[in-house]
Amino acid sequence: MFKDFFLLAAQSIMHRRMRSWLTVIGVFIGITAVVALISIGLGLERTITDQVASVFGVDTFIIMNEDTFGPQAHGPGGAEEYTLDLATLRAVEGVKVAAALREQNGFVEGGVNAEGKAIQGIFPVMGLSPELMTEFESFTGKLEAMPGGRLFEPGDVEVAVLDFEVSQRLGVEVGDTIFIAGAEGAELNVTVIGIMVPPEKNEDALEGGFGTQFSSSSDGDTISVPYEAMELLWGPADDVLVTLVRTEPGYDVDEVADRAEETLNARGSEISAVTYTDISEVIGTMTSTISAFLAGIAGISLLVGGVGVMNTMFTSVLERTKEIGVMKAVGAKNSHVLTIFLIESGLMGLVGGIVGTLLGLGLSAVASSFIGRFFGVEMAVVASPTLIIITLLGSFFLGAFAGLWPARRAAKLPVVDALRYE
Amino acid sequence: MPVLDLKGITKEYKLGKTVVRALRGLDLGVEEGEVIAIMGPSGSGKSTLMHIVGALDTPTGGTAFLDGQDLQQLKERQLVALRGKKVGFVFQTFNLIQTLSAQRNVELPMIFQGIRKGERARRARELLTKVGLADRVKHKPNELSGGERQRVAMARALANDPEIILADEPTGNLDTESGTPVLELLKRLSVEDGKTVIIVTHDPDAAAIADRIVRLRDGAVCEEVDCV
Repeated sequence: MFKDFFLLAAQSIMHRRMRSWLTVIGVFIGITAVVALISIGLGLERTITDQVASVFGVDTFIIMNEDTFGPQAHGPGGAEEYTLDLATLRAVEGVKVAAALREQNGFVEGGVNAEGKAIQGIFPVMGLSPELMTEFESFTGKLEAMPGGRLFEPGDVEVAVLDFEVSQRLGVEVGDTIFIAGAEGAELNVTVIGIMVPPEKNEDALEGGFGTQFSSSSDGDTISVPYEAMELLWGPADDVLVTLVRTEPGYDVDEVADRAEETLNARGSEISAVTYTDISEVIGTMTSTISAFLAGIAGISLLVGGVGVMNTMFTSVLERTKEIGVMKAVGAKNSHVLTIFLIESGLMGLVGGIVGTLLGLGLSAVASSFIGRFFGVEMAVVASPTLIIITLLGSFFLGAFAGLWPARRAAKLPVVDALRYE
Repeated sequence: MPVLDLKGITKEYKLGKTVVRALRGLDLGVEEGEVIAIMGPSGSGKSTLMHIVGALDTPTGGTAFLDGQDLQQLKERQLVALRGKKVGFVFQTFNLIQTLSAQRNVELPMIFQGIRKGERARRARELLTKVGLADRVKHKPNELSGGERQRVAMARALANDPEIILADEPTGNLDTESGTPVLELLKRLSVEDGKTVIIVTHDPDAAAIADRIVRLRDGAVCEEVDCV
């Protein structure tokens, strides 16, 4: 019987082709906007998480101050420093490599000037694990020393790599020795083993990766020493910016991250271990909030489409008053009439949904390629089956819901009055 | 036992602020298989009587038995079932659904009774053949002549094999030539199939096929000889 009602409704829609199409247009404009915005949002999320994944891999996590990324994070405000016991971290089960980065300002003495006086000053001194360069190139980007020098290797301690500009200011070259004073009288003479390629000459280092943050962006005045040299100069201090950890194969990165976080925090650190999953979640929440907001605005046009369906259905009920009377006279129940009209309005919603979904997906593909070209990235185009199914069901129910009131009116028409209606 | 038994039927309805007394104590009994013509001037209550007999409306007072059932006591749901199965309507203006073919129009009452598609189609074609429209099953109402439309409407009235056919001015919109087959068909339904046929009409030709003519005036049956 339902199939017959469906045919009756479809025939009625086809009979009023022009008006039905206009109504459907009203629906699909809204659906197009919603589907396009959500799809673009999903594509954006996919693109960003893919990018993050390509940097992280599946076996790496970051240790940050818990205020920077964690349950108590107090919003954007730059990375907070923290103290770290690297040895303890390395002993955590499942940790394969751990590399950290810390920074202090220190008194540094280099070569002599033209008057024979020593050149000295306060400079940022950065301590970094050699593994950062050997194991985590996806994070640091490609770092390059000028010819004649080299970067850190495992086992290096009393050595330094200088940014190009600071090497000029201190008047030192590869092979010279500089003096660095740390905390509580600690001091060290270290040998310059390399000088970084100046940022403007090294465009690769600027491209992608977090490496830009380590050297290139620090105004070219940083003196980098191995992490162990930093320990000798300043001891353990609240100055660690970031730590990268790679897990042993076969270990679940989220489990190891949790273990590391617990172990370190039990020893007084205030850190959170951030995995790819955590970052994806944050990105997901962010992008879905934005796209939900945009889709909500687009949803207003859906409301307008719904009102259009309602209007059309009221007209249809009015026009077919006599037809309704006839149907009732030949034995139609009120519920039959109600069902026929609901199917009719639901069908218009559904057709609007189908057209709108197709147009919306098309629009999002076009928009994605524009956005991608603008930002120079490959934007993912996402056609989510869930989104499509929800949209189609939703549009059917939007139509049916909009038709509810007119359909009820049709169903409740007294049969004698309806038959008499001209 | 009469198939239709009306006693002291009154019907009042409000038209704005005035109360219209459409029927004022009408008595009517109709035997099974009878052809009755109901005649009378406009406003005499013919249509109201049709609506009550067809279970489309309920009387304000009096008793009305249709096929042994007291219409006053029936719930809306039962009235719907009654007009779906016991009564077939033929209207002056045919009242076919314009978007549906002749066959689908005839199927419509069967759809509401939940009869299967195959059975429906078979019976619809059979009925259209009976009314002489075997070659018109796929035609839409606007592709048919007035007489043909009314015969489709008669096939529709017969769809659920009702006991009573109610025809409200069946020839009112037809000329004599196309009206005659309609009237012949109504007569045949009574003679061959034993259906009770009640015709509301102004048409003397229609009245001529009736076994009995009932004249109405001012909402009641007029017994006098000079009643028109």
